[in-house]
Amino acid sequence: MRILRSVRHKACADGTYMKEYLVDEPVTAGFLDHLRTFGTVSMLAGIRDGFFEFEKTHFFSMKGFVGDLQFEVRFKKEFMDLTVDFLYLLCSRYHSGRPDREFLHRMEGSIQERIKVRLGES
Amino acid sequence: MRSIDGQQGFIYLNNAASSWPKPQEVLDAVAESLRSPYAGEGRTSFGEAVNYPDSAREALGWFLHFDPPEHVVFTQNATDSLNLLIHGYVRAEGGRPHVITTALEHNSVLRPLHTLVREGAIDLTVVPFRDHRVDPAELKNAIRPETRLVVMTHGSNVLGSVQDIGAIGRYLEENDIFFVVDGAQTAGHIPVDLSRTPVDAFVFTGHKGLFGLPGIGGFTIRSPDRVVPVRQGGTGTESRSLVHPEGMPERFEAGTPNYPGMASLIAGVRFLESVGLEKVERKGKELTGHLIRSLQREPNITICNETPDLPLVSFNIEGLDCDTVGYILGRGYRLIVRTGLHCAPLVHQAIDGGRGCVRLSLSWFTTREECETAADAICEVARGADSQVSTP
Repeated sequence: MRILRSVRHKACADGTYMKEYLVDEPVTAGFLDHLRTFGTVSMLAGIRDGFFEFEKTHFFSMKGFVGDLQFEVRFKKEFMDLTVDFLYLLCSRYHSGRPDREFLHRMEGSIQERIKVRLGES
Repeated sequence: MRSIDGQQGFIYLNNAASSWPKPQEVLDAVAESLRSPYAGEGRTSFGEAVNYPDSAREALGWFLHFDPPEHVVFTQNATDSLNLLIHGYVRAEGGRPHVITTALEHNSVLRPLHTLVREGAIDLTVVPFRDHRVDPAELKNAIRPETRLVVMTHGSNVLGSVQDIGAIGRYLEENDIFFVVDGAQTAGHIPVDLSRTPVDAFVFTGHKGLFGLPGIGGFTIRSPDRVVPVRQGGTGTESRSLVHPEGMPERFEAGTPNYPGMASLIAGVRFLESVGLEKVERKGKELTGHLIRSLQREPNITICNETPDLPLVSFNIEGLDCDTVGYILGRGYRLIVRTGLHCAPLVHQAIDGGRGCVRLSLSWFTTREECETAADAICEVARGADSQVSTP
């Protein structure tokens, strides 16, 4: 999956920075399984089209619909410089159901270390 | 469901932010205004064109039952009007006057006032609301000998409650306290009769209930000399003078006017007159009541005000934040709403701890079918919120 462009952005009252992205293939159940490896995916079962939310602490949250070509991402502003690239990688390394998870987990660990430094945890 | 240029249909319930669609008469009037040369006093030698500023003053004065038309001033919007009035009045007053406002206000009132507090130019009291309304008695109790100005909303943009500006205005008039009313949410939705309501300045905006374009608004003012103009420039009159003219309406207007905006406002007001404001108000109440009754079916929907006077319904769904609800309604159901704090932080502090809510706002063009579809969608989301499935 490739992010084609950002279509909307907003600095939110809760301190996050929202961006809505257009991607080149629809979000699938397989992509949500891929996301689950890196955080928590929630779904609202009774809602038309399968609404999902993804939460990865300190990185970003994501919301959208299965089958849609757009999703919304809310970045923690203080770590956005570190985490935006990870979002792009998370999508581009998905490869239509054949994700490159080893590489992604290495990147995730490296970013988490830098976040911990900023948080004064290491 | 409405469509734009073949796009998939949607339901627009964000009329308290900006009304849509506009009446065909407004679209035609704006197009016509762009086809002809403009004429404003002192700005052209072309005598046959429509004088939009004068016509718009006549139209708004007639619509709000306000005279003389020269005391109708045009600005960019309600925020612009409130800034001119608040800063201009405080500068004219001098000293450090005491000002009263309410917790129902939009940031267009709160931010200019808090700027003046920070500058040490005023002392400010914010009167709370109960049961969606400011009690006139409580506002009277807040008055001190040094109180010179009261600024308050006519209709809350979150709760849809209309305030008793008549009773408050009469008391303030007796005590010579300048009274500015923010009518951004009421003008065009309910009848406003300024000949019977003692208000020193009544603020309106064009792009909401009056069906005009964004970028046109204004205010009426009874005694212009009580407010210092904070803008100066070209007026097309008294051009030899290096000092800005004091006469009305030039006192508060400088620079080239928004002619297409004025054309839209004239057409919007005439459209409302042709329909009849009582009819507009009645339909708004009927549809809002229907929407509320439909939402009351779901126990995890909390409606912020179940008896609004204006055609708007604010709510929250237990277990979902308002932005998520707005996202689901927009992307999943093609329902356009407004979420968050609605630029009214003190209202939300009082009603939902500052979390914000989802607001549905209707116009004359909203249909019963659209309300029913919207209510079904919201109820479906509310039921879905009960069935949240999480996986680590």
